[in-house]
Amino acid sequence: MSSSRDDFSIAFRSALLQRGAAQKFSLFFLIILAISIFFLDSYGFSFMKPVRAIINDGIYRVSLVASSPTRFFPQATEGITELINIKNENKKLKNELEAFKQKELKVEYLTNQNKNLKQFLDSDEKLFTKNIVVAKVLLDKSSPYLRSIIINRGSKSGVLKGMAVLDKDYLVGRIVETNYLSSRVLLLSDLNSRIPVTFGEDGIQAILKGTGSSRPMLEYLPEEYVIEEGIDVFTSGKDRIFFPGSPVGTTNDKGEVILFSESSQLSFVKIDKGKHHKEDF
Amino acid sequence: MLHYRSTRKLINLGPVILLYYLSISEIDTYFENYFEILSFNIQLIIIYFWSLKRPQVIGNGNIFFAGLINDTVMGIPLGLSSLSYLIVSLVATYIKNMTVNTSITTDWFTFLIAICLSNLTVLILLNNFSDLSVSFIEMSYNTFFSLIFYPFFWFFFNLYNTIITTGKNV
Repeated sequence: MSSSRDDFSIAFRSALLQRGAAQKFSLFFLIILAISIFFLDSYGFSFMKPVRAIINDGIYRVSLVASSPTRFFPQATEGITELINIKNENKKLKNELEAFKQKELKVEYLTNQNKNLKQFLDSDEKLFTKNIVVAKVLLDKSSPYLRSIIINRGSKSGVLKGMAVLDKDYLVGRIVETNYLSSRVLLLSDLNSRIPVTFGEDGIQAILKGTGSSRPMLEYLPEEYVIEEGIDVFTSGKDRIFFPGSPVGTTNDKGEVILFSESSQLSFVKIDKGKHHKEDF
Repeated sequence: MLHYRSTRKLINLGPVILLYYLSISEIDTYFENYFEILSFNIQLIIIYFWSLKRPQVIGNGNIFFAGLINDTVMGIPLGLSSLSYLIVSLVATYIKNMTVNTSITTDWFTFLIAICLSNLTVLILLNNFSDLSVSFIEMSYNTFFSLIFYPFFWFFFNLYNTIITTGKNV
């Protein structure tokens, strides 16, 4: 019994401390170093922030170069498929255009009416003046645990933590980390994402919670409320961070939201700087 | 002769290059489009296999730095992936010290211990000492599929190992 315990301790000590012929560092030293770095970074010591920002900017650029071959092949095949489909799409689009022209007239009328009504209500629309920055998606590495992307705009372009990020006019996430030349966007599908939303004719308020899968869920709904399928979900703006009325997705019968924007297909995104001041974050 | 030597050196560096490339590039082993829960951690497989079979090829320092790069790209606290990778390497080194002959079955079983220990450490550290939260279920799926795919990689890496072994300057 004692000899097997001795064997274990000898083998364990040897694994932990022995460096071997070709090893420059012992595992024990590196494990202690990794733990120290983890706690320094997690507890946000002031000197770690600029260090991390510099490391991030550097590694994101290298990562972009390293990822370029993997981006080329899907893009090339995508281009060929697009060419094949373009004729049918053109016909379909012409028909759609006709329908939209009809609708445009109706929208113009409704917009004017809406403007007049908002003036009447003395709304705070002035606050929501749009100030958009376009950013390119540098990295989009999927992970089963975290859903985020890296964009090529940072504090140099006035990007701040918390700003809304849009794909066309659809909300895709918010900024959670800013470096000088790059930022990280937390996508709506991430487990850590929470967005106040509204939907339906009654203006039901809820929180859109990321689940880690591609479909976030609606939470904090009114008691005994049954979600119907196919209702459009919009940001409510209750958090005073996002613009109210940004389209997010459509509900399904399971209480999930099918997002309008496919987060894995993002190439360019828009950052909404309109409503943010540094002191807010 | 010089050309032969540099080719050999490059072949020997293969696992390290693969490890760094997987950490820094956009390539991921998360196949949600095909099967929603399918994801596995190829870095852990590489580290475990090479730490067990030929530790001098991979090196503790490279494991540590690959982890730091992975943390930066994934946006998780620095040092976490390094710690996870080093734990896997520690288990592999311990198994190497304790056993004389290993087979795919023993490697497979001990890999389960290594990834469970490694992912458990990540889960505990992330949930208790960080603002980020991760799903225990997602992590379990990842562990399960990493274990399932281990024999395939074991086979390919074993083949590669024979190329390194038959090298003239090894």
